[in-house]
Amino acid sequence: MSTDEVESTFFRRTSRWKLIVVLLVLALIVTVIVSLNVGYAQIPFPDILGILGKQIPFLDGLIDSSLISPQNAAIILQIRLPRILAGVLVGAALAAAGVLYQGVFKNPMADSYVLGVSAGAAVGASLSILSGIGFVFLGLRLVQVAAFIGALSAMFLVYNISRVGSRVPVATLLLCGISVNFFLFAIVGLLEVIASDELHSIVFWLVGGFSNVLWRDIWAILPFIIIGIVAAYFYARDLNLLAMGEETAHHLGVNVERSKQILLVLASLTTAAAVSICGLVGFVGLMIPHLTRLIIGPDHRILLPTSTIIGAIFLVICDDLARVVATPFASTLELPVGIITMLFGAPFFIILFKKKKQSYAA
Amino acid sequence: MKTKYVIATVVIIVLIASAAFVYVHYQGQTADSGLAALQNLVDDDDYKTILTAYPEKIVSVAPSATEILYAIDAGDKVVAVTDYDNYPYDFAAWVAAGNMTSVGDFTDPNLEVITSLDPDLILASGGVQVESVDTLRDLGYKVLVLDPTNIDGVLKNIELVGNATGKRAEATALVNDITSRITAVENAVANEAKPKVYYEVYYESTSSWTIGAKAWQSELIEIAGGTNIFEDQQIDYYQFQVEALIDRNPDVIVLPASGMGTGQLESLDVVKARPGWDTMNAVQNDRLYQIDSNIIERAGPRVADAIEQFAAFFHP
Repeated sequence: MSTDEVESTFFRRTSRWKLIVVLLVLALIVTVIVSLNVGYAQIPFPDILGILGKQIPFLDGLIDSSLISPQNAAIILQIRLPRILAGVLVGAALAAAGVLYQGVFKNPMADSYVLGVSAGAAVGASLSILSGIGFVFLGLRLVQVAAFIGALSAMFLVYNISRVGSRVPVATLLLCGISVNFFLFAIVGLLEVIASDELHSIVFWLVGGFSNVLWRDIWAILPFIIIGIVAAYFYARDLNLLAMGEETAHHLGVNVERSKQILLVLASLTTAAAVSICGLVGFVGLMIPHLTRLIIGPDHRILLPTSTIIGAIFLVICDDLARVVATPFASTLELPVGIITMLFGAPFFIILFKKKKQSYAA
Repeated sequence: MKTKYVIATVVIIVLIASAAFVYVHYQGQTADSGLAALQNLVDDDDYKTILTAYPEKIVSVAPSATEILYAIDAGDKVVAVTDYDNYPYDFAAWVAAGNMTSVGDFTDPNLEVITSLDPDLILASGGVQVESVDTLRDLGYKVLVLDPTNIDGVLKNIELVGNATGKRAEATALVNDITSRITAVENAVANEAKPKVYYEVYYESTSSWTIGAKAWQSELIEIAGGTNIFEDQQIDYYQFQVEALIDRNPDVIVLPASGMGTGQLESLDVVKARPGWDTMNAVQNDRLYQIDSNIIERAGPRVADAIEQFAAFFHP
């Protein structure tokens, strides 16, 4: 292959990648707009556009909002929009973290549960609920701050236990992670037994969801998730080289231990930010990277951004389903989104996997 | 002459015998009516329990049952309660002082503690306790399941516990008191407009829970002259979409003062500041009320208290 050919393949590939990302971003925008129509209250689409338009400077004077009820405006701007954006952020964060965990561990089963990160968040949240203290810190409530701290502490605990000298072998990391995960969930179980009045709060928190997410919750987690994902993108090449083996990666100039450390911190940071507002929403971090890998391919430079966007789309659609399931029966019922992600996600994934499992066998 | 004495003697004997018979018969009847009640204790499980004597040692594994026992003056027979029991006395303090035994958790009462007490009667509730009840019955214990779904059910249970403990007069008096207080509320609110009431069970960023038509609080709200805003939902406790609440626009909001919250409820201002809630009539007219959820959630003798409190909220 001549240099020109290499260059032209590279440009063809990157332009194809750009196209994929642009299409996915468009799909995400469409999903968000469609999702604004989903819910118990029947709000006509022109009204939704009017309500949104009112928020845009210069445009607000042109819109006659006299016919729009304040209830509908509140539902769109304060209930549905933050909730949909929370779905975007949490889905993106969990999927991106999933790519990083799976890439660092070179293990298809790796997700935020493996490092005990989710369990750490659960312990932190349970403890804060049991304490009964209600306070707000930087716009976050104690339960959210505690979940965040719990998630990060669990990760540091696992990382330090599994360290052998200056290295952190993947095998010890996985085993320590799984042990710490079981240990922490046992603590959650203990706390549930001790909690009598607060039991419901703990159980409901663990089920996960973002029904009543506030704008300030979104502003609070936004920087962590954006910084986490963007920073991780600069390590996509390292992840590709790590996939060839740590030895090879080392010889190709990757500071393996440092890259692993940074990637784990970034993954745990985004996961912690996500679970701090939505509790434990399962399967997104595990499934979406695999799904994307089957469709797009294993190169982390495209896998990471596409997984991030697909994760966002997936979780927003799951949350739509959680709201829409009962609507035909004139019901105000809503399902926990964590149940939807598993109920609809797992069969979909299994079907796709059955068709493409050869690529895994290879 | 002799015939006279014979006749007189026969008459006297007959009189004494009749008196004796009437006396014995009367005695038998009083004993019988109490015993008959003990022979036919049918609970909310449709399970027929037969007692041979009034119980001396009662274990209550349901706070509502404990409240009934104390309300009909059978509290002195109670030997154990759950950790949740806090009315009419601070039972946790009694347990700490060694004057009462705890069977522990409500959902999973400690069977070893119960068997070691060897009670004559156990009062339980349905739902989560079904398994424990089955086990206790297999072990040969007499268990009455109190699992009412409406006010009539509560009143029936008070009568049932009265029959089982020999406090029938007290039970009847309590039932009459509750009934007349409820009637008084019904009469007072009969011609008032019914506000739409939102009854909160749980609210967090992750989910929100309320009651539908099948929850028993719905009936209390109705009697107190309000309408459960989700009365069209044929369900009891459920996770709902807050936008439906905003869309339906409640006139009155009732929140638990204790229990399920996460400390978020330290002030009603926090509730008013929830997203979109400022559009609700209840928030605009400042009609938010807090209530001790134990009074409302326990289907016990404080049902009239609950209805009176609701009525005071709905029709100040």
